[in-house]
Amino acid sequence: MDVSAQLEAQKSKFKSINVEKQVPLQFDLGLLASFDTNALEENKLKTETDNYLKTYTRDGTQLLINEIFQLPLTSVQDVGVVVELPKIVTAIPREKPLPKPNPPTRWERFAKIKGIKKNKKSKLIYDEEKGEWVPRWGYKGANDDGSNEWLVPVPDNADPFEDQFTKLREAKKVRISKNEARRRRNMDEAETGETQKLENKSKAGAKALKKTELHQQISVAKTSTASLGKFDKPIKGEPSNTKGVKRKFEPNIGDIQKEKEARLNILNKIIDKKGEVLNVRKAIAKNHQEN
Amino acid sequence: MRPLTEDETKVFFEKLTKYIGKNVLHLVDRSDETYYFRLHNEKVYYVSDSMLRQAVSIGRDQLASLGVCFGKFTKSKKFKLHITALDYLAQYAKYKLWIKPNGEGSFLYGNHVLKAHIGRITEDTPEHQGVIIFSMSDIPLGFGVTARSTVEIRKLKPTDIVAFHQADIGEYLREQDTLF
Repeated sequence: MDVSAQLEAQKSKFKSINVEKQVPLQFDLGLLASFDTNALEENKLKTETDNYLKTYTRDGTQLLINEIFQLPLTSVQDVGVVVELPKIVTAIPREKPLPKPNPPTRWERFAKIKGIKKNKKSKLIYDEEKGEWVPRWGYKGANDDGSNEWLVPVPDNADPFEDQFTKLREAKKVRISKNEARRRRNMDEAETGETQKLENKSKAGAKALKKTELHQQISVAKTSTASLGKFDKPIKGEPSNTKGVKRKFEPNIGDIQKEKEARLNILNKIIDKKGEVLNVRKAIAKNHQEN
Repeated sequence: MRPLTEDETKVFFEKLTKYIGKNVLHLVDRSDETYYFRLHNEKVYYVSDSMLRQAVSIGRDQLASLGVCFGKFTKSKKFKLHITALDYLAQYAKYKLWIKPNGEGSFLYGNHVLKAHIGRITEDTPEHQGVIIFSMSDIPLGFGVTARSTVEIRKLKPTDIVAFHQADIGEYLREQDTLF
C-alpha cells in the first residue's frame, strides 16, 4: 500500500520545519526561550506588518520546537512522552527580596553577651562499649539518658519502693515538654519582635517603663481588697487615685451668698498669708510730714 | 461654663494679688451688681450676674466668650493673665511704672522695659513685683514684673532691663486668635 502520495499531500499543507536564518538563534531551553539577533526586513515590516510578523514568529517558534525535540525523550506513565528541560542558563534577577535574618533567640542573645561560641559536633560518635560508630543523638544513639536502661541502681537516699524506671521515663517526658515550650516561646518571640524590642530599649526607657508599670500595679493592688480599697487608711504623701472618679462642680447659678462667702474666705486666706509688712521708710516719712 | 473649684480659685487669686494685692476684694465684692468668675474652655471670665443668666442659654460649643476674659489655665493648671484684664488691673494697681514716649514703641512690640525708658516708678517697689505699665499720659499699656527694686534701679545702666514684659496692648493685634 503506497501512502507516500497522501503523506506528500499532508506535508504540503504545512510549511517546512527547516528554517533558514542568517544568524543562528540562541536557546535557553530551561526557560523555553529563543533569542533572535537577526535584523528585521524594514520594507516588509512597513508594507505588510501583520503577515511579516506572523511568519517571523512562526519561524522562531519552529526553531525552538526543533531544539526541544532534539532533547532525549522519555515515556512517563499516565502522562505520556516527556522531555527533561536542561538547567536555566540566563541569569534572571530575584523574584522576591532577600529574606530577613531571624531575630536572635533567648539563648543566642545570652551566648552573645557571654561570648559562648558554638562548637560544631560530628554526627557519629565512637561508642566504646559497642566498639562502633553510633549517632550522637537519635535512633540507636549514644545519649540515651537512661530511659532504656535494663539495670538502674537505686540511690541511697531514695524511697526503696519508688520505681526508678518510671522515674527516669517521667524525667525524660518533662525535659521534652520543657524543650517544646521553649521552642514555642522562641517562635512567638520571633513573631512579635520582642527580642528586637528588648534590644532597642535603652536603660532610661526601661526604668521609666518599670516605674509606670509599678504605678499601675500599685493602683490595681489598692483596689484589690474586699471593699475595693474604700475603707483603707490613706497613706501620707501618696497621691489619691482620682481615676474613674467623676469630678463634681458647683452649679453655674447657685447660691449667690454662699459663693461670695467662699471666695472671700479664700481671698482673705491668701492676703493674710502674704501679710502687709509695715513699710518703715514710708512710715517715718509720713511721720515727718505730719510733724 | 462652670464656677472655679477651690484649687483653681486659689491659683487665680494668688496671681491677681501679685498685681493688685488686697484690691481683689473689690472685684469679688461689688456694690452695684454681683460679678462672677466663670471657667469656660480653660479660660476665666469675669461676668456680671445679668449677663451670666443670659449666657447660660448658649450651648457649650456655641459660646465663644463672655464678659471680660481675665486669662486662662494652662495644661499644668497654672494661671496666665491675658492683656484683656488690663482695665481692672490698672484701676486697682498698687505698683505702677510710667514709660517715656520713646520707650512706648519698644514695649508695645513685646520687648522688656529698659532703664532708659522709665519715666516714673512707684516708690518702694520690691524686686519681682507685678507692676502695671502706663504711658506718661496715664494710659495703661500693659503689665510686667520688676527685675530690680526701685532702690536698685538708680544704680543700673541705661540699657539694663528694669521690668520683664508680660503683656501689652499690642497683643490685641498680634494675638487676636488666642486672646479671648
